[in-house]
Amino acid sequence: MDYAIETLHLTREFHTDEGVFKALEDINLKVREGIIFGLLGPNGAGKTTLIRILSTLLLPTSGEAYVDGFDVVKEANKVRKIINLVSGGERPGYGILTTEENLMYYAQIYGLSRREAKERIEEVNRLIGLDEFLHKRLNTLSTGMIQKYALARGLLNKPKILFLDEPTLGLDVENARIIRRLVRRLVDEGLIKTILLTSHYMAEVEELCDYIAIINKGRIIAEGTVEELKNMVSREVIYNIDVKAIETPKLEFLKSIDSVVGYTVRMSNISGEARIRIVMSYEDISRILDTLERNRIKILRIHQDRISLEDVFLKLVGRGLADD
Amino acid sequence: MIKIVRILRPAFARAYVRIFGGFREKSWLFWEVILPTIFMSSIIFAYENLNAPKVFIGFVVLGTIMMNFWYNVLWGMGSVLYWEKETGNLEVYLLTGSPLPSLLLGMALGGMFNTSVRSIAMILIGVYVFQAEFIPAYLPYAIAIFLLTLFSLYSMGMAFASLHLIYGRKGIRLNEVMGEPISFLSGQYYPINVFPTVIQSIASLMPITIGLDGIRRALILGEGLDTLWIHISILSIMALILFPLGIYIMNRIVEKGRRDGRLILRWI
Repeated sequence: MDYAIETLHLTREFHTDEGVFKALEDINLKVREGIIFGLLGPNGAGKTTLIRILSTLLLPTSGEAYVDGFDVVKEANKVRKIINLVSGGERPGYGILTTEENLMYYAQIYGLSRREAKERIEEVNRLIGLDEFLHKRLNTLSTGMIQKYALARGLLNKPKILFLDEPTLGLDVENARIIRRLVRRLVDEGLIKTILLTSHYMAEVEELCDYIAIINKGRIIAEGTVEELKNMVSREVIYNIDVKAIETPKLEFLKSIDSVVGYTVRMSNISGEARIRIVMSYEDISRILDTLERNRIKILRIHQDRISLEDVFLKLVGRGLADD
Repeated sequence: MIKIVRILRPAFARAYVRIFGGFREKSWLFWEVILPTIFMSSIIFAYENLNAPKVFIGFVVLGTIMMNFWYNVLWGMGSVLYWEKETGNLEVYLLTGSPLPSLLLGMALGGMFNTSVRSIAMILIGVYVFQAEFIPAYLPYAIAIFLLTLFSLYSMGMAFASLHLIYGRKGIRLNEVMGEPISFLSGQYYPINVFPTVIQSIASLMPITIGLDGIRRALILGEGLDTLWIHISILSIMALILFPLGIYIMNRIVEKGRRDGRLILRWI
């Protein structure tokens, strides 16, 4: 079977003053055509390194990678013709030029004539909706506008495979929702065959992706559909316990309880509360509550919750995705 | 034909950014024209006060103009390429599969246009304010030498620009090393025969020295092809060597950049 993306024992090392740092280690991925493939992992897990190798910007130290059957090392130019990459939180382009001029610039770099470029920009505008800021200078755009512009740029060459590296990074809820809707539309309407999306937002990956690989410290630690991944923690019991604000290190004692698979703590600066999300291998909540009380932690509320992707990560890694 | 279009389209697109973007800043006239002519004027005033021969005014005008083009190679290609990397533009450019020399050509064309505007202002000030004298009849020779010099300089610029990808921020030091000493050796404000023969020989290895000397001989001293053929020949040979060398160095450095991650890692 031909895959949109395939990697075989892909490894990437960086040589630093501290020694050799393995950003990716023995990555074996097979991405089917026609899906949104999510690469989920914390910051520094190796997501961006992998995407840079697949988009030919970086060479692997060892192993192989193919995009639409083309070798990313030996056939880089063939790969570049059928891909594009959009990174969140970045604003490539020239601030002094308008959105339209910037898109014109990139379209021409792809070899389009000015007339062809104009037509393509109109098509992309119809799809994404850039009218509001098409004639505004890039250095005056909001973060949400910039991300829409970046997505528009990523569609200029009608790529078959699109790499989206943290596409909603730094966006507010509303703009992130708009971008996610656009991304889903691209695949549903067949405008892009395959999307590889990296994110450290669970909800984003859960909402958008047909298939997910979880990456941590340069290694793929699990992969499957959302359901398949959730099934990995189907026997576990999950509780959310709201407590009066605490310092996370004070909860270290939880690790000594046999039933505890892992936990995350989310602080709320507004309410002065903290939410402990705890994954247990069997129902043992009364013991947990006893232990919390014995350690003088004031419990406010408690409820059992449904399994989320974060629990899968918690089980596999022993810590939450956002815990750096 | 298709290949040429694929090279030129990105180049013109990048030149557009430089030309139209530059003029959109209202202060361009001050930075691009007024400031540089002030420095040129101060040198001319110094020569006039020392009762130097009138030809020295023309020497200074042409020397300043040629050095502007050289500085444009150093800062307008090298440093701008580094800036393109830092802003993420280079990454996006490389994704398109367009050749990197096209991007550099675009930077060069845009920079050349801006420098030409500045140069015209300098010539006008030189002629109408300081009564610099040039011989228009020898302009075709001067233009031929000028274009050959530019070709060599911008070929060198490709190599320097790619070094900026390797050395990152430290590349700015490279500009300084390649700026002031070349300004000194090329005889920006004086003929290089003021130097001992050994230094003159070293200085003659640089296209800008040969080009500047040739243009001065044509426009100020009124020398024709009987002496200028040497300049044209040397510059042609330099262009033939420097252009492929520049492309080779750049391709090697880009490949090394892909290997080391220097094309995408911003902090190095």
